[in-house]
Amino acid sequence: MRRYSRRVFHHASKFFRQRSLVEEAAQEVFLKAFTELGSFEGRGSMEGWLTRITTNTCLNLLRSSKRRPESTVSDLTEDETTWLDNNLAGAAMERHQASERSSVAADLAGRVLQRLTPEDQLVLTLIDGEDASVKDVAEMTGWSESKVKVQAFRARRRMREAVEKLLRRKGN
Amino acid sequence: MSKNHIISLIESAPLASLSESDLNSIRTHTNDCVECRRAFEATQISMLLLKKRTPETFEPPPFFHTRVLAALRERQTVGDQWGWTKVWRAAGTLASSMVATVAALAVLTLVIPASQTGSKTQDMTSSLNPYSAEEVLLDQGGAVNDQVSEDQILNALFGAEDEAAR
Repeated sequence: MRRYSRRVFHHASKFFRQRSLVEEAAQEVFLKAFTELGSFEGRGSMEGWLTRITTNTCLNLLRSSKRRPESTVSDLTEDETTWLDNNLAGAAMERHQASERSSVAADLAGRVLQRLTPEDQLVLTLIDGEDASVKDVAEMTGWSESKVKVQAFRARRRMREAVEKLLRRKGN
Repeated sequence: MSKNHIISLIESAPLASLSESDLNSIRTHTNDCVECRRAFEATQISMLLLKKRTPETFEPPPFFHTRVLAALRERQTVGDQWGWTKVWRAAGTLASSMVATVAALAVLTLVIPASQTGSKTQDMTSSLNPYSAEEVLLDQGGAVNDQVSEDQILNALFGAEDEAAR
């Protein structure tokens, strides 16, 4: 457990921004791993097996946490509105990446993601956020590669629509 | 280029992984199409938000392992208790069914004979019925008695003559 706990924590950190939730997920992962150790047949690596358990545990935790209702302009803080304005003014991605207001963006990202399904959050976080490949995500989740692709396609659409709605409301 | 084409292109993969020619065609199209420009901007913002969300990585706290082991023990204890609860419940069901069976047998033993006594009284009443089975049997016995009495009568009638003849 000491050997793998850091890795489990790092992987769970991709899905939650609160330490308490990451710890809850990691604890659940090790409890599952202990009770299902018999099902690990040693075909793959222990790391891969634990990553898969971690992914599915985080997905279940995301499912059990309530999705927030649709964000409204009044939900946006002043900093978030400023961040959106700044990033809309300059279209080039390179300029955005140099932005200093990362915590504002991270909060806003978290809030937009909370409007999506746990599966959408998972693929977007891993593929678009963490640059994981479709194959990696398929291995982590146990889904087929085509399912991952379709899920990612739909998730991008839903995320874009959510952001568009947010921008439209902000513009009104 | 149609609006749908642009949108499906920007949704097909992360923006960062699109080729330069794809990006050029998107830029060209979005110059003329306001809706696609909005969609492209929203996608850019989405991608940026996802990148900015790059997580803060948490380290395991000092007593994490102890906590997990304690939770595991607790879960196992709860599991064992649950197992015993199941056994007790099964035993309870068995015991209550046995009690029910004994009660049913007691009812059969104590109540039914009483009702049968009542039916015996009815039988006695029915014995007065000359057509009852018992009556027929008794009649047979009675017939024997009748035969005996007939012999006695014959003896009584002809006994004196017989003795005189001797």
